Amino acid sequence: MILQPAVLALLLIALLVAGMGIYAGYYGMRILGQWDPASGSEGQLELERRTYLVSTIMSYILSFELMSLFLFIYTADELHPLFTGAMCAAGTLAVNSFGYPALIIKVVNFLLAGVWLIVNYADNRGYDYPLIKVKYELLNLLVPLLVLEGVLLFAYFAGVKPDIITSCCGSLFSHESSGFSGDLAMLPHLPMQIAFFSGMAVTGASGLFFYIRGRAGYLFSISSTVTFLVAVASVLSFICLYFYELPTHHCPFCLLQKEYGYIGYFLYATLFGGVVAGIGTGVLMPFRKVGSLIRIIPAIQRRLVLVTLCCYLLFTLITGWKMVFSALTLG
Amino acid sequence: MIELSNLTKSFNSGQPNQFTAVDNVTLAINPQQITVLKGPSGSGKTSLLSMIGCMARPTSGRIFLRGVAAALPFRQDGADAVEITSLPERFLNEIRRSTFGFIFQQFNLVKGISVLENVMLPAYPTGEGRAEFRARAVSLLEQFSIARLASQRVELLSGGELQRVAIARALINNPSIIIADEPTAHLDSKLSHEFMEIVGRLKGEGKSVLIASHDPIVFDSPLIDTLVEMRDGAIVASRSCR
Ligand SMILES: Nc1ncnc2c1ncn2[C@@H]1O[C@H](COP(=O)(O)OP(=O)(O)OP(=O)(O)O)[C@@H](O)[C@H]1O
Ligand SMILES: [Mg+2]
Repeated sequence: MILQPAVLALLLIALLVAGMGIYAGYYGMRILGQWDPASGSEGQLELERRTYLVSTIMSYILSFELMSLFLFIYTADELHPLFTGAMCAAGTLAVNSFGYPALIIKVVNFLLAGVWLIVNYADNRGYDYPLIKVKYELLNLLVPLLVLEGVLLFAYFAGVKPDIITSCCGSLFSHESSGFSGDLAMLPHLPMQIAFFSGMAVTGASGLFFYIRGRAGYLFSISSTVTFLVAVASVLSFICLYFYELPTHHCPFCLLQKEYGYIGYFLYATLFGGVVAGIGTGVLMPFRKVGSLIRIIPAIQRRLVLVTLCCYLLFTLITGWKMVFSALTLG
Repeated sequence: MIELSNLTKSFNSGQPNQFTAVDNVTLAINPQQITVLKGPSGSGKTSLLSMIGCMARPTSGRIFLRGVAAALPFRQDGADAVEITSLPERFLNEIRRSTFGFIFQQFNLVKGISVLENVMLPAYPTGEGRAEFRARAVSLLEQFSIARLASQRVELLSGGELQRVAIARALINNPSIIIADEPTAHLDSKLSHEFMEIVGRLKGEGKSVLIASHDPIVFDSPLIDTLVEMRDGAIVASRSCR
């Protein structure tokens, strides 16, 4: 175990998130089982007070959860000089077998937490708890994952010892590497570029259409999600090459370093911010006609679409700019 | 119309000193009428009024407001009734401001600021333009013949003047329901009669008035429409006085 402030902060956040998640999940179960707005019973009135408290706590807790993803990759990057062979966060995460699973679950939880915050925000705008069931069903899905994340994080940091010999990103994300990361790195450039730019174009067009006409929200939501996956694959396949100006270095983590102006944080923030708003737009679609939200949800969705469009546009502009002005040209 | 359904308020629930101030009250309060709650001290009148006015939450039971939904900015199109005990806190603020006007036993005016500012106070959070509600406040002061006191600080006023400032403040947001808790407790009989006259006028303007009182000038007044008697948190009698 390495006792660095950032590591302790991460563990503390994980503990807090999992603990409060279990507390909220307990009331989530009770609310899903016993919620009955028609009844004025003591139990129902108590649940109405309680959900107010639970949703307030969880909106803070899950905001921590969103930030902690970036703290996690920052920490992984910071720690790499401690390990022989590590050049960036990629090596730190490879120190033991819990690193990458922890990262993946943090990403999944980031997306779910973001969507939960959006649903919670919409629910709190309505006066009759319009999304209460959805909100707690989503929370009950999320809580076990938050606990799992905490466990993986503890397992990972417990197994991190200085001077472990680990792999370098060059070997993890190369054409020779077997495994998923290697496969992504090996994706052919040109088809990936076509997929990336058309994904962005479809998302942009459907987003604008939805913003103006208020229709085809599902199309926009799905398109933004697929484009997110394509963009992540594109980072590995070709985008990072332009930043490194090396034809074979596919590491998605070196982008986080000072050498490249910490551009990785910005790229990932726009990508993750954009996809959360995009998924959120779709998740709210079925509730557009709910009485107390009839004027509220369309307004929230328009703002979400705008967030996605701005985030993705920034991502595309930076990528495009780098492709044009990079010293590297890919054949 | 205000509809109370099995309304109960317990203090210190589950503890040895548990006390039920309002016990399973079911009652319909008619709109545009004067309703008086009468009962000995401690019978739960104030507790009941504070639940109706969204200042306290019941332990169990529901309160429906019918026909006042138009005053609620968040209302659903076409919805006429709203249930207030289940509302999240932020909506209660809106309801308190837009639907109810309160007159308290101690008047609860803010010392150190002028009469006019006191009357305008509840209108500030509504987002309405200051000039508009200032004009309304001035006209209310004129209506109650206290316009000449507008710039006076409230601590210098007499009891009767305080009373009228409190009424003007309760009316500033043009509420449809006025709630008054022991409004005549600090007034002599002449001022109490005057108060009832004002209440009669408000009713004439279409407002519903709900008063808790053990003052005979109030509950024996020919102006009132319904008299509800409470004892130990329960309603023991409710009769129409028309
Ligand atoms: N916060 C509280 N905690 C415990 N008991 C309370 C609380 N508030 C009120 N009570 C009790 O509830 C009972 C009813 O009080 P309430 O003020 O409603 O009576 P009331 O009818 O308005 O009396 P009065 O005519 O004297 O104003 C009283 O016995 C009071 O002591
Ligand atoms: Mg009282």
